Amino acid sequence: MKRNKTMHSLGRGLLSFFMNAALILFSLTCIFPIIWMGYSSLKEKRAFNADIIGLPKKPSLVNYSRILSNPDYHLSESMLNSVRTTALSIVFIIVFSFVVGYILARVSFRLNRVLYAMFLLGMLIPVHSLLVPIYVVFRNCGISNQWFTLIFPYVSFGLPMGIFLMEGYVKGIPVSLEEAAAIDGSSFSYTMWYIIMPICKPILVTIGIIQVFACWNEFSFALVLIKDVTLQTVPLALTQFRGQFASDYPKQMAAMLITMSPIVILYFAFSKQIIKGMITGAVKE
Amino acid sequence: MLHAIRPKRNIIILYLLIPTALFLFTVFVPLVTALGYSVFEWKGGPVKTFTGLTNYVTLLHDETFWLAFQHNIYLVVACIIGQIGIAFILVMMVGSKFVRLKGIHRTFGFFPSTISAVCIGLIWSIIYHNQYGIINWFFKAIGKPELCRVWLNETDLVMLLVSIPLIWQYIGYYMVIILSAISSINEELYESAEIDGASGVQKACYITLPLIKNIIMVCITLCIAGNMKAFDSIFVMTKGGPGKASMVMAMYGYQISLNQNNMGYGSCISVGIFVLSLLVIAGSQAFIKFLTHEKEI
Repeated sequence: MKRNKTMHSLGRGLLSFFMNAALILFSLTCIFPIIWMGYSSLKEKRAFNADIIGLPKKPSLVNYSRILSNPDYHLSESMLNSVRTTALSIVFIIVFSFVVGYILARVSFRLNRVLYAMFLLGMLIPVHSLLVPIYVVFRNCGISNQWFTLIFPYVSFGLPMGIFLMEGYVKGIPVSLEEAAAIDGSSFSYTMWYIIMPICKPILVTIGIIQVFACWNEFSFALVLIKDVTLQTVPLALTQFRGQFASDYPKQMAAMLITMSPIVILYFAFSKQIIKGMITGAVKE
Repeated sequence: MLHAIRPKRNIIILYLLIPTALFLFTVFVPLVTALGYSVFEWKGGPVKTFTGLTNYVTLLHDETFWLAFQHNIYLVVACIIGQIGIAFILVMMVGSKFVRLKGIHRTFGFFPSTISAVCIGLIWSIIYHNQYGIINWFFKAIGKPELCRVWLNETDLVMLLVSIPLIWQYIGYYMVIILSAISSINEELYESAEIDGASGVQKACYITLPLIKNIIMVCITLCIAGNMKAFDSIFVMTKGGPGKASMVMAMYGYQISLNQNNMGYGSCISVGIFVLSLLVIAGSQAFIKFLTHEKEI
């Protein structure tokens, strides 16, 4: 009987060891590439080619300084472009989602459900099939390859989910709140901006989080719509970079790490909220 | 009714005008124009020749397009099995009481899904690299240099190789989604099952799985929608090559329209992608509904 029990606990011990080991291995594979890139980017090209996995013997930041100081690589410029495009898109997505979501949830008018269905349809439409058509339309209208070009698709593709989340959220707010405000003489706009908007902060933050990552990482529409190297966003710059440094991997890695840094810092600083926000968006959808 | 709750029509129109116009302009106008251009022979220049449905007939017989479609389906299936399957197994492990560092696994596991597909593609093309890649380094390190190869040039392997980064990137994402669904399951269910002597695997199959069925369906839907639009990482890693061995639909549309400047046919392909993606998504939805309905009876 006693032997049986020790066997049992031995089995449990083994099981727990394997489970922990498997999960730690999984977590390591998720984080390893970025660590590998981190220390490899401190090597010279020759040192990396001689030993791809070892730690740098003479770590130096020379790759970083070369990339950032050479204007031909347009790296800091594309960072700026990405920041501007992302920031403006987020602002528009949040404001539009809020306004449209609120109105569709609260105001009844004839086209209400038609509009709602139209925006929801935007979540179903396979966006990648619009790649070429958007290119054609934007070129014909003369708005491709401008600093503001990418804001159009990013806002439009971000809106459906934003509106959907927003509408659902507003429906959970008691109408009596607005009625009370109206009795106190608050106008429709005032109620919307100053009473409802603060209440909706959590869902607006969620929408913002989802879209920051989506906009910063978006590649295909940038590829099609932006031709000018001075206007390119970060993912586009990285593919250019690969052409220029076909075999200089430490430099490529340094460039990738620079462009990833805002996202990585943001993620590890707020990982709890970010994970929660992304999951809300995905599951509600 | 008070004006504040039932506002004037003009105010509503004013508020809705810009977002609606923007949305129509970037989503519906391109769709309609694509439909229009798809019946022309148009090489991007000023000359357009009306050819009726010729483009569509070509598309139906275009082997590359259908190969690309098959590859999209391959990615969908590989990712459903790989991502959701592995995620589910990991979730079962994370849920067990022996496991430590749960928070770390969540944070690290989710991390790759926040990185751009371009970066993922670049990282993996270094990993696959024949001279400086980790895979070949590993084979050399274990004394089997004959297994080394130029990985992304292997026609037979390339689809598998491009799907690995995709799968890897989103395992943690689905893991967290499933975890959040499981955390809402009542603990007492497990406790009573334990009293009845249920093993870990039994608990997973007979309690957890049925209760999170809906969330699994959501994951599958996300997986399908995500992989029908696979483009970024393939563009970075193989550009559809070698030959057409890793061509996907969006990549093919891009090549025809922007590399060969064949806008008419490119628009036709776009319409094809649109219809096929919708069909696959709607079909899978109907199938899922059918399945879940079946079981309830």
